[in-house]
Amino acid sequence: MQDYKDFLGEILIDEQSLQNRIKELAAEISRDYQGKDLLLICILRGGIVFLVDLMRHITVPLQVDFMAVSSYGAGARQSGGSVRLSLDLKTDIRSKDVLLVEDIVDSGNTIAYVLEFLQTRQPRSLRICALLDKEERRETTIPIYYRGFSIPNKFVFGYGLDLDEYYRNLPFIAVVDLEKYNPSD
Amino acid sequence: MRDYHEFIEEVLVNETTIDERVAELGAQISRDYTGEELLIVCLLRGGITFTADLTRHLTIPHTLDCMSLSSYGVGHYASSGNVRVNLDLMTNIEGLNVLLVEDIVDSGRTLAHVLQMLKTREPKSLRVCVLLDKKYRREVPVVVDYVGFDVPDKYVFGYGIDIDEHYRHLPFIASADLSKYRKEA
Repeated sequence: MQDYKDFLGEILIDEQSLQNRIKELAAEISRDYQGKDLLLICILRGGIVFLVDLMRHITVPLQVDFMAVSSYGAGARQSGGSVRLSLDLKTDIRSKDVLLVEDIVDSGNTIAYVLEFLQTRQPRSLRICALLDKEERRETTIPIYYRGFSIPNKFVFGYGLDLDEYYRNLPFIAVVDLEKYNPSD
Repeated sequence: MRDYHEFIEEVLVNETTIDERVAELGAQISRDYTGEELLIVCLLRGGITFTADLTRHLTIPHTLDCMSLSSYGVGHYASSGNVRVNLDLMTNIEGLNVLLVEDIVDSGRTLAHVLQMLKTREPKSLRVCVLLDKKYRREVPVVVDYVGFDVPDKYVFGYGIDIDEHYRHLPFIASADLSKYRKEA
């Protein structure tokens, strides 16, 4: 296991900036969902840290639920193709105001599938809140209603995002220097 | 949805006290697992806030996985029934040091079931870290290695813990006056 400092390219978003922006998003959400029946949905596992910090700053009543998805094909979640639901929601979302909380929107393929799937259950409203938007990589149109930061097409980690399952716990978003990163170390 | 001010009895653990204790636990776990491979297992859904904060205080490399469980029994989670796995681990834990992170342990039945199940997969070690220990409610002996706070036998909510799926997002831990909570608003 390498120390992240060995392959840290740069810190893209530091802890303070993340926390400040999350507070702003939470304030915006709290205003918009006044008197609504808000359900936050987190897609495991990357979105947990963002979800937890975001919900703590929301001042309107809310519920939380989780989904886990995996790809039928080999390779990463972003690979496109069909998505397998490994954990479905416990909550019936019909007539609820659903806010899908995502750490990052990349190609958008997974989230497009999830949106379509959730829509069939007829929520009253359905929006996306994404901490990071890597728009350059988008392969399909995704309406992101609440956006934390637009980021360049770089390999990022920290704040819930992993590198080969590690480093999710770092409190900032950083860029990997791929020449220096050696996962077998 | 009731405003929690209508039924709150008292704040049992405030935000600052939680932060400080979670930091201490993070430091202790980091010391205990230095040089070891560590997998943090978050038990959904109550454990998310504690896990997100605890892992940010870990200074050692670790990976994260989640499990979702429910009881086959009728009624509340803490019933005596067997445990149903809604979402199993993605990680093969054979030979790994596993630390189970849970929001609260009361009767200990669910925890005892999970531990028994995970042991059959032959992890190198298996320990438990709970934020709240409701000792007086224990019905089966279960070893809890790391405890945040001992709490009295009261109905608690906040910091990940719900009442009827609400109030998980509150940043403190409070007890509810159930007679007031149940009274129609």
